[in-house]
Amino acid sequence: MGLEQFKDRRVGTQNYKKLDLDHAPNCGWCQFKQVVSRTFKPELFVGLWVTFREMINALFRGQMHTTQYPLEKLPISPRYRAIHDMLRLLESGHYRCIGCGLCEKICISNCIAMETRYDENQRKEVSEYTINFGRCIFCGYCAEVCPELAIVHGQRYETASEQRASFSLFEDMLTPIDKLNLQKEYDGFGAVSPNADENIKKTPLAY
Amino acid sequence: MEATMLPEVTAGGVIIKAVLILAVISAIAGFGTYIERKVLAFMQRRLGPQHVGPYGLLQIIADGIKLFTKEDIIPQHANKLVFAVAPAITAATAFIALAAVPVFPDFTIPEWIPVLGGIFVPSIASDVNVGILFVLGMMAAGLYGPLLAGMAQANKWGILGSARTAIQFLSYEVVTGLSILAPIMMVGSLSFVDFNDGYNDNGLWLIVYQPVAFVLFLIAGYAETNRTPFDLLEHEAEIISGYVTEYSGMRWGMFFIGEYANMITIGVIASVVFLGGYNDFWIIPGWLMIIGKIAFMFFLMLWVRASWPHVRPDQLMWLCWKVLMPVAVINVVITGIVMMV
Amino acid sequence: MYEMIAFYVFAVSTTILFAITAMSKNVLYAMTSLAAGMVIISGFFFLLGADFLGVVQLIVYVGAVMALYAFAMMFFDATRDIKEKHGNPALVFLLGGLMALIFVVIFSAPIIGENVKANYPIVEGIGNAQAVGMVLFTKYLVPFEVAAVMLLVAMIAGIILAGKKMDHSLTTSDDEPVEYEDELLKENK
Repeated sequence: MGLEQFKDRRVGTQNYKKLDLDHAPNCGWCQFKQVVSRTFKPELFVGLWVTFREMINALFRGQMHTTQYPLEKLPISPRYRAIHDMLRLLESGHYRCIGCGLCEKICISNCIAMETRYDENQRKEVSEYTINFGRCIFCGYCAEVCPELAIVHGQRYETASEQRASFSLFEDMLTPIDKLNLQKEYDGFGAVSPNADENIKKTPLAY
Repeated sequence: MEATMLPEVTAGGVIIKAVLILAVISAIAGFGTYIERKVLAFMQRRLGPQHVGPYGLLQIIADGIKLFTKEDIIPQHANKLVFAVAPAITAATAFIALAAVPVFPDFTIPEWIPVLGGIFVPSIASDVNVGILFVLGMMAAGLYGPLLAGMAQANKWGILGSARTAIQFLSYEVVTGLSILAPIMMVGSLSFVDFNDGYNDNGLWLIVYQPVAFVLFLIAGYAETNRTPFDLLEHEAEIISGYVTEYSGMRWGMFFIGEYANMITIGVIASVVFLGGYNDFWIIPGWLMIIGKIAFMFFLMLWVRASWPHVRPDQLMWLCWKVLMPVAVINVVITGIVMMV
Repeated sequence: MYEMIAFYVFAVSTTILFAITAMSKNVLYAMTSLAAGMVIISGFFFLLGADFLGVVQLIVYVGAVMALYAFAMMFFDATRDIKEKHGNPALVFLLGGLMALIFVVIFSAPIIGENVKANYPIVEGIGNAQAVGMVLFTKYLVPFEVAAVMLLVAMIAGIILAGKKMDHSLTTSDDEPVEYEDELLKENK
């Protein structure tokens, strides 16, 4: 199943069929005629046929709608804001986070805590990074503000766990180094929009 | 059928038949819930119960365990005795009604089976010669289950549910009786066996002669078994669960079993009276035919439930007294005129 | 032997159930026991071989009459006991007992005199329903028709009484809501 359905935001432009409500019978004879016509019209059997057809479709033509959830999952929108992911640089495998602390500052529920220090190369290193998911409201500001797209929202929406800490450590959120080739570039909240190239203009310096 | 041609019906045979009916019907009634969930699911392109056993076949056992082990709650201000007895009334009347219904053809247990060998098991547990009226009367008595259940719980939804029970059952009993009167006139007997044998000779089912009566009987039967489109007794959107609002566990389960047994009864009556009963058809043996017919009637109920919306209470009454009853009376009169001429 | 046992079981349970109906202060118990008693009375008919009458007893009394009682009872709080008003319990007891005694004497007199004989005994080969129909449409035709007319009259009267304001809908009318006299409400005020 593709994502077209989810991406289509044109709410309200669908083709609605309006019910024809103008033909209410107003005399006894008209009512009687309506009853008789409704009785002998095969509308009820059309209803029966519709359900029977759906059953045939479901059973023999592979149109069963059920997603057997724990075994198969529906794709979710890239803009979905679930448990955070920390991404790595594809070239070096080093984590992208530069320890600027913007996410910690902007976090409106104060759930991000980070500590940084200088490593032996005098580069900034993240020594401690946790997100308290008991407080996080998944607003997405951290992903939006991150200059490196290091912290992003992932697709892990099943957040049941024995303890909160299961998701919240830096190492847990970081892409595993052996799965670096599977890391996908984030196109959700805070990422560069897909049509960014079209929006580039020359800087107006004429004035 | 000559009485002398049959082996003697012994008490043992009747007891075996009664046990058979109880065992088979309550098993089918339980299994019916599974079938219903599955068929409704397929018609809505869902899978239905899937995880307990292969294809969810053992779901009924899981449900049974759940119902049996659930806490039996009797609400505070309820009338405890009547509250406790009411589910039993529904289940009991449903099974008593089945006593006068021919479920399988006669058979004799083969001689090689120890103890029971050679006992003749009749098709009906008790062949009252007013079988049809007995079944209708017992199903009428079945209305006390929902009625007392609703009144015994100090709950407004329950009262509304039992009020609806009273009007719905009372009204549609009239239609059931009148619709089945025309076939009774044609056969000239109230016994199910006579119905089954009556049209053995020319091989035409009674539905050919009495299509209107068949449709009327089906509609009224759906109303009496509380099936959609007439499931107003416990319609969730309006009255929570009606008379079962306060019930839980096994007592609730007994209502359920009673309802499914009633569905089967209606299916059996429709198959025996209108659809030729357990006679052999072409090369298909009779027992297979009756099972097929009952299964189809059962499936039809589920099919209708998946397809049609239910009616409002006032529409229900309107349908009964202004449409179905006059049509039934006219049908009886026309049948009488045709038979006299 | 079996019939004997069945008869006594039915007789005792009928008496007990109807005694509950008369004695109980709870509407629900009274109604339930009355309905159960009606079912057991149909058992007597089955015992006597009058299947048709037994089933009619079931359908008419249990299915219809008692259900209408129950429908009326729904307007009360069925779970609460009723305070009965006894003006003169001794007199009630005396008159009631006397009535019961008279009935017993009247109905048992022919049995004691051994003058009981069935006018229309069950004939082998003719079904119960046929026998009832035969009698009903020959000897008792006039009472049967009169009863039918009486029921019709009662039905029309009921429709007229109930149907006076049938076309007037309280929910859709624009008039001011009518103030109904409600004694219960008054008492509470």
